[in-house]
Parts: sequence; structure tokens; C-alpha cells
Amino acid sequence: MSKLGARCVIAVPYIWLVMFFLVPFIIVFKISFSEMQYAIPPYTDLVTWADEVLTIKLNLGTYAYLINDDLYFRAYMSSARIAFIATVCALLIGYPIAYAIARADTATRNALLMLVMLPSWTSFLIRIYAWVGILKNNGLINNGLMGIGIIDEPIAMLNTEFAVYLGIVYAYLPFMVLPIYTNLVKLDNSLLEASADLGCSPWKTFLTITLPLSKAGIIAGCMLVFIPSVGEFVIPEMLGGAETLMIGKVLWQEFFNNRDWPVASAVAIVMLLLLLVPITFFHRYQARELGS
Amino acid sequence: MSDAAPIPMLEIRHVTKRFGQLSAVKDVNLSINKGEIFALLGGSGCGKTTLLRIMAGFETPTEGTVLIDGEDVSNMPPYKRPVNMMFQSYALFPHMTVEQNVAFGLKQDKLPKAEIEAQVHKMLQLVQMNEFAKRKPNQLSGGQRQRVALARSLAKKPKVLLLDEPMGALDKKLRSQMQLEVVDIIESIGVTCVMVTHDQEEAMVMADRVSIMHDGEIMQIGSPSDIYESPNSRHTAEFIGSVNIFDAAVQHVGLEVSQMSCEDLACTLSVEGSVNAIEGAHIGVAVRPEKIIMSRTQPEQANNWAKGRVQDIAYLGGHSVYHVELDSGKVVMATATNVDRHEQRLTWKDEVYLYWSAASAVVLCQ
Repeated sequence: MSKLGARCVIAVPYIWLVMFFLVPFIIVFKISFSEMQYAIPPYTDLVTWADEVLTIKLNLGTYAYLINDDLYFRAYMSSARIAFIATVCALLIGYPIAYAIARADTATRNALLMLVMLPSWTSFLIRIYAWVGILKNNGLINNGLMGIGIIDEPIAMLNTEFAVYLGIVYAYLPFMVLPIYTNLVKLDNSLLEASADLGCSPWKTFLTITLPLSKAGIIAGCMLVFIPSVGEFVIPEMLGGAETLMIGKVLWQEFFNNRDWPVASAVAIVMLLLLLVPITFFHRYQARELGS
Repeated sequence: MSDAAPIPMLEIRHVTKRFGQLSAVKDVNLSINKGEIFALLGGSGCGKTTLLRIMAGFETPTEGTVLIDGEDVSNMPPYKRPVNMMFQSYALFPHMTVEQNVAFGLKQDKLPKAEIEAQVHKMLQLVQMNEFAKRKPNQLSGGQRQRVALARSLAKKPKVLLLDEPMGALDKKLRSQMQLEVVDIIESIGVTCVMVTHDQEEAMVMADRVSIMHDGEIMQIGSPSDIYESPNSRHTAEFIGSVNIFDAAVQHVGLEVSQMSCEDLACTLSVEGSVNAIEGAHIGVAVRPEKIIMSRTQPEQANNWAKGRVQDIAYLGGHSVYHVELDSGKVVMATATNVDRHEQRLTWKDEVYLYWSAASAVVLCQ
């Protein structure tokens, strides 16, 4: 009886994952092998039954197209590069923030954590839109700088790659700060004292003790920033320029502008497969940490 | 023990440490000699750990100076002090092997690689942990971790070794074994050692000299037997071992023997030697339970005896502690060694005479 109960409890998340992750994935996977047609739905069936003939038609042309047209390759590379640089920036900014919060006393710590999470209470879209207002040529920064006479002409910030980095770092910083904070707050202070006792200056202690022991937090934070950044659509669309090439934008264009669902599906599948590489790396690292 | 005059290795001069309004350490003076094992003993919150942390450099004294080997280190950061500490939690670095942990301090000194390896090997040999050199701390037992922590704190050949509750994380059986072993290791190296403990047995077993701390002050410093046999205050007498204290008034102060009156006893109390108090002064007279003899017949001596009834018996195997209620209602503890297996011992409600010699009692003025 209790065994049945336990199975029921475990079944709930499994059913959830199958319904909302596996089934959509299979549908998208299936579409990526079909052909585009002007109909509803805008793609052909893989399996047809006519005149007592069962026809299974797998169209591999879409994937061949992805390989042949270098737009997609460039889009993947550009996405990975932007996501990577943004992740490094988020790490460089997020680690000191997490460290400061973890070292603060308990009362201030909760207030600081609140400040990190508070922006997420507003809609993501509105926050990104607010950056448009801040960065544009007659926006907050340019008007301010021109007002006090530091510059004569507005600096072009909106619709540049810089704005995309800014947007990604801004939007995903809490996902970097929180796992690192959770890790650092558990760090035993006596280890730092032992290191000082054995002759390490504070900076050396940070490099030899704190940093290696927060590796799990750093990896978790980087994954949480890198993975969604690769497929990011809203930020490059609103803050980036025409030359900012990201796979999320390509995906959107294939679906909504070209109405080419098979190509869009194939783009999505390839992106998922590419992201599996860092995800498996992360899982193997976690398993090894738990194992030892 | 050599006859040469002791050389002070660590000196604490008028050290006070305040945390806001609270004084954790109050005007403490200490001089710890070269090669000596010194214990700071006291209950929790007595300031012993703060004092140790001042020695290590984790806290700076609000007032006063700390000298190590004649050098003022009061404002020297911990990573520059010639002092190493073994932490209560051992604080072994979890991401490093046993070997790397021991080598850690040596690497900071930028010693040649071969020298580091030789020293690590020597240290691990000393604590018999060579075969575990490649293990991580979480693959070791509590006792093994302690050995590694000891090896790590000794590896840099510190002038002073600090031990914070060295046996705190071990179970009782392992504790008594490790106490002697740690002392052997420390003495074989000859390092000056300061340990902090709340366990009086540990302090007495391990240390050459013990200081009793209470409320941020040092109450008494002496060898374990000095402190046990000649406590200078009620607090020390009660903190170390168990004791019976009789409230008494000084009747007569003599050179050989002094007399006191006590409301709990039918006879007078006599104590060997003179007493540093005027006649009529109220003092305490301490008698350790093992110095009290029990008998079913009235003792021949005129002083230092009492009559009572056995109220409680704590059987501890090797000996038993008898709680005897006197006619005045005061309960006196006396111990008896259980020599004979089938002896007819005293039992509950038995009437018993207690007596002790004048040399066994200690006068406590404060």
C-alpha cells in the first residue's frame, strides 16, 4: 500500500515531465522531418495511409539545409559567443555580490537577497523595455550626459551588441548570484582561519580555499545563465541591432515570418542537442561531487 | 624537567578584550615557558577561547601586548605569526588530500619541493598516517582526522602550537588514548603548546601547568596537583573535581595548627599550618571526598569528624561515592575504593562516622 502511495507521489513529476516536456519535444522532432506546405497545419504528415499503401516519408532535407546555409552555423556560433561572454561578465559581477551577501550579518543578508530578487517581481518584458528608454539616443543616459555637457552628441548604445550583453547580464544576474551565494554561505569560516594560520594572505586564501570550494556554485550559476542566454529572443530583438545574430531570433523568423515550421523545428532540435553538451558535463560533475 | 631557569616563549601582558560592552578577557597576564604544555581551563564563556584566538592573531587585544619569543606580535596578522593552531573542528581542507593538507603551510613558505615532500612524509610518519596520504578528509575517521590536523599544525615547526579543545570531537574511549598520544608527539618535538579545554581531566592528563579561567580572569595557575590539592578559591576547588566545603569561622590561628568552628560539626575543625585571616573571619574549609574516611565506629581523634546517615551511593565500579547527610542536614561526599568483591559495604540509611586529618583540609579565604 505504502509502496503504491510512494509510486503515486513520484508519478506526479514524471507525468508532468512527459506531458509538458517529452511530448512537445517529440512533436517538434516529428515536424523537423516533414515538409513545408501551404495548409493547416503548415507541414506534411510523416505517415500516410492511402490505397492500402502505408507511406512513411522522412524528409532529411531540412537538416541538410541547415548545414548548407551558413546563416544557421553563424547564428549558432554567434549565440554561443554572446552567451559565453555574457556568462563570464555575469560571473565577474555576480561572484563579488554573492560573496558580499554571504559575508554580511544575518539581518543585512536577508535585505540584500531581497534586493537581488526584487526586480524579478516586475515583468521581464517591461524591464527589458525600460532599458530601451535608458539606452536610446534621447534616453536617460545620453540626455543626462549631454545636459551636464560631457558629450555633445549622443553615444549610440541601443541596437548594439553592447546593449545585448548589458540586457543578458542584467536579466540573468540573480541566477548567477543565488547559487554562488548558497554555496558561499555554507563555507566554514574555520577553514579560512586555518588557511590564514598556515601562512596564507587573505587574497591567497581566496584563491586556494574559497574559490575551489565554491566551484559547484560557480558551475551551477554559469549553467543557469548560459543555457537560457543561448536561446534568448527578447533581449537581442529589443536591444540588439540588425547585425546581432542570435539563434532565438532566427527561430522566431522561421516560425512567424517564413512560416517554415520544419526548418524552425530543426533549428530548435539542433540547439537543444548543442545545449546537451554543457548540461551533461554539469550533471557528471554533480554526480562526481555527490559520489565522493 | 631541567633545572635551568625557564625561558618564556609566549607572554601575555595586561591583555583585555572587549566586545562592545562585554569584556571577554580582563587584564590577563601569562608567561608560558619554552617546551611547556600549558592548559587554559574553564567553563564555557570564561574567555579561554578568546585568549587563544588572541594568541593566534584572529582577534586583536583591546589593550595589552602579546610577545612570542620576545617579539611583540600584538598587531601581526595570523598569517605572519610563528604560531599554528589545531582547530576544534580540525578545519581540514575538504578539497585536498591528507598529503596536500599537511603540505599547505609549507607551500606558503615557498620551500623547495623535495624539502616539502620530506617534511610531509616525516609529519605523517609521526602521526602514523602515511598510508592514508592520498585520502580526502571525508574518507577518514574522527581520530584519523585529528592526527592529520595535528600533523598539519606541526609541519611548519611553529614556535607555539595552539590546541583548541583538542579532544572535543572524539568519543570518550578514543579521547583518553589520544590524550597521551598527542602529549607524546608534542613532547618528542619539544614545541611549546597552549591548549584550551573545558574538560579538567584532559587538562590534568596533558598539561604541565594549568590555569583556571573564570569570567575573563585567571583564577589560579599551577601544576595539576597544585591546583587539585591546594586550590586558592572556592571557584577553583569546585571546578576541579568534587569537594566538600564547610563554612567556618576562624577561632585560633597557630603556626602548626589553626582551629575553626563550624555549625555543621559537633567538634572543631583543625587545619595544618597558619591561616591568612584574622580570628572571627568567615572562611571555607575544603576537603576532597577521597580524603574522608568512613567508619562504623567513632574515631579516636577529637577534631575533624562528623556523624551522619548514608543517603545515596553512586557505584562507579572502581570506587563508590557515598552521600552522607549530617545531623545539621549538610550532605558530605566521601569515596571508598571497592577493594574486595564480596565485602560487606555500607548501605542506605546506615549510620556512619566520617573523619579526616588536619593535613587534608584546605582553607579557602575567597
